[in-house]
Amino acid sequence: MRKAIITAGLALLATTVGLAQNAPSRDNGKVVYDKWCLPCHGAVAPAEMPFGGYGLPGTSALRIKYRGEIPAVLEDRTDLVPAFIRTVVRGGLFGMPMTRRTEISDAELDDIITYLTRNNN
Amino acid sequence: MALPPNVSAEDFAAALTDFAAAVGDDWVFSSDEDVAQYRDSYSILWGEPEERVASAAVAPANVEQIQQIVRVANRYGIPLYPISTGRNLTYGGAAPNLSGSVVLDLKRMNRILEVDEDRHFALVEPGVSYFDLYNYIQERGLKLMLDVPDPGWGSPIGNSLDHGVGYTMAPFRDHFGSHCGMEFVTAEGEVVRTGNGAIPGSDGWQDYRYGVGPMIDGLLAQSNFGIVTKMGFWLMPMPETFLTGTVMVPRYGDFDALVKEVSYLEDSFMIGLPDFGSPSAEGDPGGPMAALMQNGWPSVEQLEEFVSAQGMPAWSVELRFYGPEEVVRAAWGAAQRRFRDRIPGATFEDGYFWRLPLSAEDVAENPRKPELGIPALEIFDMVARKPYTNDAPWEGHADFFAFLPRKAEAVHKAARMMYETYTEVGAPPVHHPFFTPINYYSRAYIMATLVPTWRDPARNAQSRALFSLLLDRCAENGWGVYRTNPAFQEQAVSKYSYNNSALQRYQERLKDSIDPNGIISPGRYGIWPAGMRSGRA
Repeated sequence: MRKAIITAGLALLATTVGLAQNAPSRDNGKVVYDKWCLPCHGAVAPAEMPFGGYGLPGTSALRIKYRGEIPAVLEDRTDLVPAFIRTVVRGGLFGMPMTRRTEISDAELDDIITYLTRNNN
Repeated sequence: MALPPNVSAEDFAAALTDFAAAVGDDWVFSSDEDVAQYRDSYSILWGEPEERVASAAVAPANVEQIQQIVRVANRYGIPLYPISTGRNLTYGGAAPNLSGSVVLDLKRMNRILEVDEDRHFALVEPGVSYFDLYNYIQERGLKLMLDVPDPGWGSPIGNSLDHGVGYTMAPFRDHFGSHCGMEFVTAEGEVVRTGNGAIPGSDGWQDYRYGVGPMIDGLLAQSNFGIVTKMGFWLMPMPETFLTGTVMVPRYGDFDALVKEVSYLEDSFMIGLPDFGSPSAEGDPGGPMAALMQNGWPSVEQLEEFVSAQGMPAWSVELRFYGPEEVVRAAWGAAQRRFRDRIPGATFEDGYFWRLPLSAEDVAENPRKPELGIPALEIFDMVARKPYTNDAPWEGHADFFAFLPRKAEAVHKAARMMYETYTEVGAPPVHHPFFTPINYYSRAYIMATLVPTWRDPARNAQSRALFSLLLDRCAENGWGVYRTNPAFQEQAVSKYSYNNSALQRYQERLKDSIDPNGIISPGRYGIWPAGMRSGRA
């Protein structure tokens, strides 16, 4: 299932190549997302974590918060709003700290937003 | 907009213009929105007048730009606060010690300058993270193992300069202790290299760290005597295998012998970080342990009875071995023999055996990344939202890590003191008679406790009261902390008061001489420039 989603995503990404350089890039969004977001919001959840967690802090927290009603993995979401993503990345939320422009530039943040909203209805 | 202390708005504006001339307009951050990124997300002073906030930030790309920035700062009397990746969360994050400082954000200086697979070292800049260095090594298939702290987003330079620690073999777990050679910019803008790096053209900078004469590298850690721009680190050759085994001992009173034997193995460089635990005390925290603690701290007799009733070993320690298969299996065998000879009733359980390096698939599935030198952020799951904190998840935490001598008596005494301190301030106690230490530094134990922080002043006030009282109580027993949040650095260093605080006074004399205008990180670990000092002669 997970592999199927990734494969589908890659196929979609391939179609974005050739867009103007200034336009937000979904495939660069995936690269930046993998570097900065995946270590907490990834889909693989190692076991053996103390205190009833599920391994990856972001995914684990959202699994508890949404009780399965909304996907815990951000890449599976279809309802994320650009302004909300921007606010959380820059301002942090609960244990997630804020992220500076020297870490993720505004252009890279736009790329992440393009990537995370690619399946929005 | 906040201003640096004793700097006029006109001078500050002129300084920002000069900073921009050095680094370019894009890399000076002074709007409220930009400066807010340099708040400490986990601040224990969040939203209060005492919260440490920057006036601006400037992000240079190279050493020459830092030199220019330092000269501008001297001209206008602007305090600079260097950060590397800015991810020192629980210890201040990207926020300065002194409000109004200009954060010197070194994240853009992110070059990995050299990794040597044969001499086992790396030379990096401050903006390089453990993730970056790990990926560099993986992409090139180099047979080297990092020693990483729990959060992989930090910088080897920043982490080691705050005396950070990891999980593998003793010489590498001490991150500052495993560095070899550094380059820094002085408060007057000069570039200094230490050790063999001071010999022009030397290719042995990361081989020998003393050079000749005094080794001054220690002055750059937990301090404000310069801006570190490069550091070398010794790395462990990738071990062929990793093996774990657990030792269990039956009685509460066996902890003393267990500690002594683990110290023997540790100081003989036979094991990596030993992981102590208590099978008797694990399980439902509201169950038998709560009943045991109902009438206060139990006697030793009650504790032995409790262990018998639980039918579980009182203590355990997981030992971790790194090396060729023949060696790790023999070492585990020798360790079992030694425990068996010294502790009647000791039992043993084989754990993991892995050939290294792990495949990429195995890495993703493996929950024990830091023990294998693999950077991750999974430790934060411990403080993330849990079913029982779903209504009010922690917003941050201030880590209180006291160091103790490696003695059972000290561990039990510290557990009881911490239990009583929590109780005294009305916080639910987390310590109990089976609380175990962590051996990050091979020659000392750490008693760890994570104090929650909030974006709510009332709850932070209780957390501060707890933290502060823990510091006092530890010092009464002769114990300090290995590292602490800026809000408590002054208090932490005040405990090191031998001979009328001779140590701090010596540091202050150095500060006055090395940084006469007091522009680098005023107040870092209690070291203030002359004009900002108070309370000491």
